Amino acid sequence: MWPYLFIAPALGAIGLVFVYPLVQVVRDSFYAGSTDTLTYVGTANYKNVVQDPVFRHSLLNNLKLLVTVPVMTALALLIAVMLNDRIRGWRQYQAIVFLPYILPATAIGLTFSYLLQRNGVLNTFLRDAGLGALAPDWLGSASWVVPAIGGVVVWQQLGFGVVVFTAALLALPAEVTEAARIDGAGWWQIQRRIHIPQIRRIVEFFVVLEAITVLSQVFNYVYVLTGGGPGNASSVLEFYIWKNGFSLGSVGTASTVSVILLALASVLIAIYMRLRARDAEV
Amino acid sequence: MIAKRHPLAALLVIPVVLALLAAGCGGGSSSSSGGGGSADEGDLTYWYWGESDAPGANKWMKQMIARYEKLHPKVHIKLVPQATDTLIGAFKTASQTKRGPDIATQWATLPVLTPAWTGATAPLSDLIPKSETDNWISTQENISQGKLWGMPQYLLGVPFVWNKQMFRAAGLDPDTPPATFDDLLAACTKLKAKGYTPIGMGNKDGYTGAWFFAIYGKSQLSSVADLQGIVTGKAKFSDPKYSGFYEQMAKLRQSGCFNDDISSLDLNQGWQLFPRKKAAMAWTTDGNALTWAKAIGAANIGVGAPPRFGNGALASYYTTTQSSSAMITSWSKHKKAAAAFLTFLHTPAALDAWYAETGVFPADKRFSASRITNPVAKQLYRLATQKSVWGENYLPPQVDQNADLPAGQLITSGSGAPSKAASLWDTVLQQWKTQHPDEYQHYQQWANG
Repeated sequence: MWPYLFIAPALGAIGLVFVYPLVQVVRDSFYAGSTDTLTYVGTANYKNVVQDPVFRHSLLNNLKLLVTVPVMTALALLIAVMLNDRIRGWRQYQAIVFLPYILPATAIGLTFSYLLQRNGVLNTFLRDAGLGALAPDWLGSASWVVPAIGGVVVWQQLGFGVVVFTAALLALPAEVTEAARIDGAGWWQIQRRIHIPQIRRIVEFFVVLEAITVLSQVFNYVYVLTGGGPGNASSVLEFYIWKNGFSLGSVGTASTVSVILLALASVLIAIYMRLRARDAEV
Repeated sequence: MIAKRHPLAALLVIPVVLALLAAGCGGGSSSSSGGGGSADEGDLTYWYWGESDAPGANKWMKQMIARYEKLHPKVHIKLVPQATDTLIGAFKTASQTKRGPDIATQWATLPVLTPAWTGATAPLSDLIPKSETDNWISTQENISQGKLWGMPQYLLGVPFVWNKQMFRAAGLDPDTPPATFDDLLAACTKLKAKGYTPIGMGNKDGYTGAWFFAIYGKSQLSSVADLQGIVTGKAKFSDPKYSGFYEQMAKLRQSGCFNDDISSLDLNQGWQLFPRKKAAMAWTTDGNALTWAKAIGAANIGVGAPPRFGNGALASYYTTTQSSSAMITSWSKHKKAAAAFLTFLHTPAALDAWYAETGVFPADKRFSASRITNPVAKQLYRLATQKSVWGENYLPPQVDQNADLPAGQLITSGSGAPSKAASLWDTVLQQWKTQHPDEYQHYQQWANG
């Protein structure tokens, strides 16, 4: 009995901070109106949300942003394996690459909102270099706005991947690499056949983590860079939730989409746990 | 006993039980009625917005607070300036928790009346005598159930401005602005031929589109009832009578009349093009027009009514509003003190100080037009005191944010046809009715008088 009493305060805190909001959000997803005038509507919110083209487009944008995950994974691995060769100044390079990760997303968004204007710094540079064809309206074009946001996400998150992969590579036993070199393996073969397979679990962890990030932690970028525009073209699920729940007081709609987002994130977490379980069996 | 035999189950049950208990105890609103208090005593918090409309507004308000606190030492006022894009949302959150400011700012009509209908604000007509409120201009924008819910501070007109030098260079008459849509297109062509950007605006935040609705959405309408009909469902927005102005907006874009970066600049950024002589024309505020007159020279700026796009009775109406209104919250424990302060803001000295600081016209009949000596300001005042209506005020906040703003962005970014913009309105209007049946009911009652 005593052990349970000892952990009861912690469980209480978890219950209040985690479980209670979860229960409340699920409950609110079956109601319409503002917080003080809620009306029970059953599953009508779910039907309405699924029929809302802005919701579907927001979900599609989140799925499009998932493309950034293999991009930043590949880039982070490439940089990490290069730094692992202990090239001169590798620690400084690592710090430079990691720096964006520690900057606040809001500050990054504000800066890039100026850099990526149609006549902003980037496009002016491209035009001056004779590359005007590569200077679209990054933030004002429905076609380019999501790739632009994806680019900013990759720029910021890349450093985290580099640090994680570099640490994993540094922890590998040197003897295996040495043995491979003695056997005549080239640099690329060592990376592909020996180093990367050995850090597979770290890579899987990073992929799942970043997938969850682009699903549920890109609000800052969208809010500051585009406000969801132009014409909802860059809306994502978080932004949809914020707009409906906090900006407009449509608690039911916001809660409904929150439940859907939780379900999507749970799928990713379940995949990750399955991978871990599979590795444990091996 | 159960915990001994099934410790894991007990481990899981405890947080769930606690959470359900908390859910049962939580929810629902806390007590909402604050007391009236004394008119001469209290700590007030004022969520204030106005600087975007009237540069200098924040400075003026701080001066007024300092003066008022000197006259009423037992009253302390904390000013909290608000951001444009969270103005509605922040107050919505406060009104749901019944905690927050004593005085708050919201844009006129629906943003003021919506919280009033949910009991978040107190009627000013119950706290301030009619002899005082009768002097305020544009109070009809905030009347519901026979009561006044918001105090106007200033009048915001939307003049059309043009650079006379650029007009002259392009072979246009500098003293004759475009009077119709066709005139505007023709002026765009000539200005472009001369290498000038015809119109400088910003629509990344959606507000150029919202202004387009406010100025031109009424072009084919006969009365305010027509505007309300869009919301009550008596008419569909996709009817060209209501949404036809999007065709004209699209033509302006296709003709290259707008600056090419209109979609990556927000409204305030887009407005910088005109005073920097990078654009020849703009729709702007009275305050901006006066500031720009100083920047490019009063002789070089023309101000007038926007070109007329349609033939409805409201097409000839100017677009003026009190824009932002001050409300007293229902949970405030110092309603009388709040009302007394708001009344103070309409004393002659305060009105004169407002005009001196911002150049924007006070919304009060006691402000003497003889104080306006600037020739550009005189023109603007004549425009602002014409018959007018601001269509956007009649939209529920959700419809304004989810339809009005993004629909205009579809046009200026070229990512959607006018039909798609109109369809967005119909979708959002239906969503609003479904998600806020209470607001819809209140709106219908208000629209039906």
